[in-house]
Amino acid sequence: MFLFPTKKAPAPEREASSPERTSLPERSERSERSERSGRPEELGGPERSGRSEQPGGPERSGRPAEVSPPGEPEKAFPGKKAPGVRVSGLSVVYRTPAGELPAVRGIDLELVPGTITGVVGESGSGKSTLALSLLNAVQPPGRISAGSVEIDGLGDVVRLGGDALRKARGRHIGYVFQAAQNSLNPLKTVGKQLLDLGRSHEVDDLRELVRDAKELLGRMGMDGARVLDSHQHELSGGMRQRVGIMLALVLNAHLVVLDEPTTALDMITQATILRIIREVHEERGLTTLVITHDLGVVAEVADRLAVMYGGRVVEQGPTMEVLGAPRHPYTQGLIRAIPRLVGDIGEARALPGRPPTLGTIPARGCVFRERCHLRMAVCETEEPPAISRGEWIVACHAVAAEAEAEGGRRRVAAGTQGSAKAHGAKGEQG
Amino acid sequence: MITGQGITKTFRQRGSVLAGREVKALRGVDFAIKKGGAASFIGESGSGKTTLGRIIAGLESHDAGEITIDGTPMSSLRPKQRQPYFRRIQLIHQDPYSALNPTRTVHQTLNAPLDLRAKGTGRSRSWVEGRAEELLELVGLDPGYVLPRYPHQLSGGMRQRVVIARALTVDPEMLVADEAVSMIDVSLRLGILALLKDLRERLGVSVLFITHDVATARYIGEDGELYVIYRGQVVERGHVETIISDPVHPYTQSLLSAIPVLRGLEQPGEEPVVPTEALDEGNHDAGCLFARRCPFRTGRCESEHPVLGHAEGTSQEHACFHPRRRSVVAMPAGRA
Repeated sequence: MFLFPTKKAPAPEREASSPERTSLPERSERSERSERSGRPEELGGPERSGRSEQPGGPERSGRPAEVSPPGEPEKAFPGKKAPGVRVSGLSVVYRTPAGELPAVRGIDLELVPGTITGVVGESGSGKSTLALSLLNAVQPPGRISAGSVEIDGLGDVVRLGGDALRKARGRHIGYVFQAAQNSLNPLKTVGKQLLDLGRSHEVDDLRELVRDAKELLGRMGMDGARVLDSHQHELSGGMRQRVGIMLALVLNAHLVVLDEPTTALDMITQATILRIIREVHEERGLTTLVITHDLGVVAEVADRLAVMYGGRVVEQGPTMEVLGAPRHPYTQGLIRAIPRLVGDIGEARALPGRPPTLGTIPARGCVFRERCHLRMAVCETEEPPAISRGEWIVACHAVAAEAEAEGGRRRVAAGTQGSAKAHGAKGEQG
Repeated sequence: MITGQGITKTFRQRGSVLAGREVKALRGVDFAIKKGGAASFIGESGSGKTTLGRIIAGLESHDAGEITIDGTPMSSLRPKQRQPYFRRIQLIHQDPYSALNPTRTVHQTLNAPLDLRAKGTGRSRSWVEGRAEELLELVGLDPGYVLPRYPHQLSGGMRQRVVIARALTVDPEMLVADEAVSMIDVSLRLGILALLKDLRERLGVSVLFITHDVATARYIGEDGELYVIYRGQVVERGHVETIISDPVHPYTQSLLSAIPVLRGLEQPGEEPVVPTEALDEGNHDAGCLFARRCPFRTGRCESEHPVLGHAEGTSQEHACFHPRRRSVVAMPAGRA
């Protein structure tokens, strides 16, 4: 079931359905597939032997061993292995009649082992595409065109294919789909689907799998036996979401991706699911990625936050710091646009303009400039540089200019202490 | 002015397995929405708030109770005679993607109802064209850009504005907005809310806002009335700001406690209320409907049924035997 993302790949143009045009992508799709299927064969040998060096590798058909792989730093969860993930230079393009358009471009993102990272963005920001890339599950007409996704104990997922990839999904990477009702089979009970999952991943002891599933469901406040005997229509939205989380975790994956885990749930259920995500994350020692359009969700669960816009990460850093003093104009605008329970209603306002779609993302320069109040000439042509302050990274020309001015002041002050009157005072303060 | 008294609605399941099972969607709800006023119904999914909205818009029948529009009780009229009343109450759906006909341009969508009106009142073709442009401008869209386009060529926010413009073609007295912003991008939500507020102020259209997100209810206007609905019953009612700052019913408090806190900017309320169990759709109708999930229930709650009414020291109405103010709402950091 992990092979079927529920979210349709953004079909960029209606015209794509005309027969003339579909024939073209299909051809190149086939050539791409053959290109891909070549890769795992090349990689098969070294990869398999490489994996058997990892603890847990030989027992892949049984329960993965609860030991930290060598070389991975010991984190706050001894005995458990939360993998780190390094996404570098990742680009995903979708083939359209207008050529290949980037949905995600040049993303660098690190998921620190044992943390919850929240990716927040509006429709068309590329957040779901990014999430699917973590499983190398971007569906045609999309493809990963550049970059790598390094997952501890698994290597570069972008280079995995075939059976190795199929097994990695579920075993290493759990994925909870947006709208869990669409990822469950309406004709089978949850229990049957669980057994299917076990068989397709060659689990030896299915009884133990069922026992684990019941325990997980019980942990999330449900009657495990009853839920396993139910069809999806017998479960409420919140219960389906928890079933989705159970299926993502039951094979003992330690990297979990949740795509819009609370969309379409009401507030009280959302709060319950968020609490469960947090608790299960801590108890099982996971590395978790939460994809959402709702900054509130990220604020509730995530340790670190990445804000996406037009296929780029425009700001990332520790949640509290970023929310407390956002630096990118988009993050600032987004926070101001959230209806709040307290404070002056007049202070809140919508961002002008509208988010770009695949076809309208500017090819050059800053993707946010159309809606930005700090827009400068340089934003039209140059990619904003990534300005980092510790773990906090912002990609914005205005922030860069400010940082430069500050740095310049500091340099001037340091270099000409006492002599440059204009900057002297500032230098002493610094 | 639209009022409702004792609105009751029970859905009976059909089919072989569930036949005869009853779902009490509404259990005697009273409401009153002034001309040009604003009201919000909030509650979880399954609380009956959407059913109530549909009954008010004339799209659903009710089993008992009376809807009165401008002093005329609807039960005194034949269905055909009710039509002109209910036409002036327009429903705006949650999903602007399915509310518009995908094979029609915005021009066609807006002209159809305007043509009908023009025919009925003997107005000219140019009035129709002019009015369509006027309405699009009113909802903040550029007629030149939007009119020739199909729904799929517009963003979600623009589509919702077109839906609102279409509702305005019949000069409605009231707009019923059912989760009208929940599918709109976060950065654009406030724009739609501001538009509804603006229409209230400029055209005197009253707005009924149905949502599960209390925070959005604030943006319809400070004078708005808030109805907190739980399993078909109003459990707390009063001014938006009063209920948000001083809720007394544990259910209202649970809803408010569940709203995510923007850590870094805000700190959580001191006494968050978390229901002891999830919403159970079973029929536990004895006593207070919320008792099974209420952390503060007593023996009385399980046997006696609390009725909505004023209590000492509070300006709102509530249906709780043990009302108490609790600080559940997040406060801006450093000001708590």
